[in-house]
Amino acid sequence: MASIRPTVRTASLLLRSSARRSHSTSASSVSASEVSHFSSLASSWWDPTGPSRVLHLMNPLRHDFIASCLFDGAPESTLKRESNPNPLHYLDVGCGGGIFAESLARTIPLPDPGAQPGTETVTRAASITAIDPTPTLVQIARDHARKDPKVSAHLQSGRFRYVNCTLEDVIAEAPATESSSDVGGKGKMVRREDGFDVITLFEVLEHIDTNASRSPLSFLTDCLRLLKPGGWLVGSTIARTWPSFLINQVIAEAPWPVGVVPKGTHEWRKFVNPDELESWAREGLMRCSDLEQGSVMRSGSGALRGMRWKCAGVVYFPGLGWNFVPGSDCWGNYFWAIRKGV
Amino acid sequence: MRPISTSALRPYVCPSCRFAGSLNRRELGSKPAPVTDIYDVVCVGGGPAGLALLAALRASPATSKLKVALVESQDLDKARSWKLDPQHFSNRVSSLTPSSVSFLQKIGTWERLDVSRTQPYQGMEVWDGETGSKISFDRSMETSPFEDLRTVATMTENANLVQALLSRIAASGDENLSIFSNTTVSSIENGGTDEPDGPDLSAWPVLSIVPAANAPQSSASPVKIAARLLVGADGINSPVRRYADIATEGWDYQRHGVVATLSLADQIPAPFPIGTRTAYQRFLPSLGGPIALLPLPDNHATLVWSTTVENAAYLKSLSPGAFVTMVNAAFRLSMSDLKYMMHMERPSTPAADVNEDPHESELTWRLQHTPPVPQLPPMVTGVQEGSVASFPLRFRHASTYISPRVALVGDAAHVIHPLAGQGLNLGIGDVASLSSTIEYAVDHGMDIGDTLTLERYTADRWATNAKIGGTCDILHKLYNVRGQGPVAWGRSLGFEIIDRLPFVKGFLMRNADSS
Repeated sequence: MASIRPTVRTASLLLRSSARRSHSTSASSVSASEVSHFSSLASSWWDPTGPSRVLHLMNPLRHDFIASCLFDGAPESTLKRESNPNPLHYLDVGCGGGIFAESLARTIPLPDPGAQPGTETVTRAASITAIDPTPTLVQIARDHARKDPKVSAHLQSGRFRYVNCTLEDVIAEAPATESSSDVGGKGKMVRREDGFDVITLFEVLEHIDTNASRSPLSFLTDCLRLLKPGGWLVGSTIARTWPSFLINQVIAEAPWPVGVVPKGTHEWRKFVNPDELESWAREGLMRCSDLEQGSVMRSGSGALRGMRWKCAGVVYFPGLGWNFVPGSDCWGNYFWAIRKGV
Repeated sequence: MRPISTSALRPYVCPSCRFAGSLNRRELGSKPAPVTDIYDVVCVGGGPAGLALLAALRASPATSKLKVALVESQDLDKARSWKLDPQHFSNRVSSLTPSSVSFLQKIGTWERLDVSRTQPYQGMEVWDGETGSKISFDRSMETSPFEDLRTVATMTENANLVQALLSRIAASGDENLSIFSNTTVSSIENGGTDEPDGPDLSAWPVLSIVPAANAPQSSASPVKIAARLLVGADGINSPVRRYADIATEGWDYQRHGVVATLSLADQIPAPFPIGTRTAYQRFLPSLGGPIALLPLPDNHATLVWSTTVENAAYLKSLSPGAFVTMVNAAFRLSMSDLKYMMHMERPSTPAADVNEDPHESELTWRLQHTPPVPQLPPMVTGVQEGSVASFPLRFRHASTYISPRVALVGDAAHVIHPLAGQGLNLGIGDVASLSSTIEYAVDHGMDIGDTLTLERYTADRWATNAKIGGTCDILHKLYNVRGQGPVAWGRSLGFEIIDRLPFVKGFLMRNADSS
């Protein structure tokens, strides 16, 4: 119910183009019908009463969930707590039209000319990089960001960047030696040498084709590789249960005025249950450790030391909006988070 | 919700500036365009609602960093230096409900008020002048022994409140704060794009503000300020509402509210517990509305008498002695007696001797033939010089309180009949809701001018205000039916039932309070 067609397409494109590795230079891997589909959605992406409304309404809960993760475990080492109270670097994977990325960028404080140490914000964000493989969506996101002078200023200074690339492109990059060398946002370099503090993956996972060569497991592993030790990988998805079948497939995709989601948005069998996700997260962390160490020995449970798993269900009440409902993570929409051990 | 393409792009130009504005623009064409200052919140209107919003935003840690501006056409320095001696009271007084008071405490304003000039009251006597049915509220009876006396409301002069709000705002420092006092809005238009890569302000309201005509530096050129969120706290004829193209419906009651500051005789017997005060309201169907006497400190009281335009003009033309007599008569005499006294010849010259005033002798004579009722207020003994005034009563309700980058609060959003004394309380309720909406938005990375943010505010307030405004309207209409017909019988039955069921009464009081 939360996800709408644009996100689906984003996710599928993300995967399809990454499999071919030919997306970034041309639109050849993207079918003409999909491009025209996005063009038709472009005007409604930021329409508060349009098809993305349910997704817009969910956005504040993403902030609440991230805040609860940061409260449970701060990504930066407690030993060298920086003088800057807002040091966190964010990466938003599959940003689409930028609903979440722009709202996070708005919480980044503007540089204070008085050079006083600012106060701590809720997100503690210092920068955000948002990636998406679809040029049209990135353009929508950039155009919308210009409508807010504060966000626009962050785009100009490079604290907020939209990059049109896939997750695999980022992995393929050699880690940037100095992240600030790319200030200005014109370059394509996304990867940070010391990794990101928070990586977000909202409404992406449930659209991943588990039968393809690229399963959610390798996708998750790639995300975890970009994460700083102690950092959080945060996302939201839908559980594969009979209530979610009823709500997401039967009610939400029903014809107007009952339905709130375009037909064909969700495929119930691709939904991910929390327990499956948790086991993928464990496996992903171990694979991640293998790649980092480059040793012939496979990593064992030692790679999971310090790992944290969080999960919280949300329910949409028509007319009232989204709410966290304890125990509802086994019914339908839920937020999840994995913390990489220090 | 209106589509941005049509109405948001329609500029508002105030009628008096329409001509001058076009001349100015031609002049400006030769000069480089003035630099636009960008604010997070621009509040038009520096009355109690606008100032309370500013004070609330400055008081909350989440919103204190927002860049805010206030535009007020009056000189706020006069409001800052307002002072009256303890025996004189302004005639613009509002009854603040306990929830309004606790909001003002929360934003650090109540402690800056001159509390000795405010008067809480615990009891209320309301009765029907036609049928005599009555209802009395006494909140002091609900008080547990471990707390202060519960109040119905606290009478507060608007000037006292405005002064406290200004002092609270001044105490928050002047960082990110601009107060344009003595300044009017000459036009509101949508911005544009200054540079190709720079911010795009085409959906943002940009205000041109000029010093008011009576201001010392009235020749200065207009300043342009852009608003992420433009708040209209600019009263019943709100220019901000017109810019946003928000429809408003309503009607004029063809009634005026006559206000005055009065002094009272001592209450006999003395009230118990000591220090408790009572408000009195008597519905006068034949004269067009209720008369209310609300307590002020030291045996003073403020009068609000809703009556027809002719009666209001008659009352204002009376000598102070005759005015006082009419107020006393209005609480005591029958409808027919009152109607007669409303048409008595006024003496051509002010009476030299009070005893010769025809109103006075008429009241004395008629009182002997009127059976007394137990709930009478103390006799009014005097009226403060120059405090008698009147204002038209109207009903207005905007179809919505929001539009992209625009929110309305207070009288710009709703004007109601004053018979329940709820007008300012609704405005403060709006401010409490809007400021907490902004707070939530800032904490969650939302754009505070976005419809998705503001719809929380209008969803919270519109129905509440419609309910209270509608109730006052129904009461007004019910108590304008004269005579002893079925309507009078029905409303009296309702009064009597409510008066005899304590839990219903308690529920009503709490409901009025929590609004």
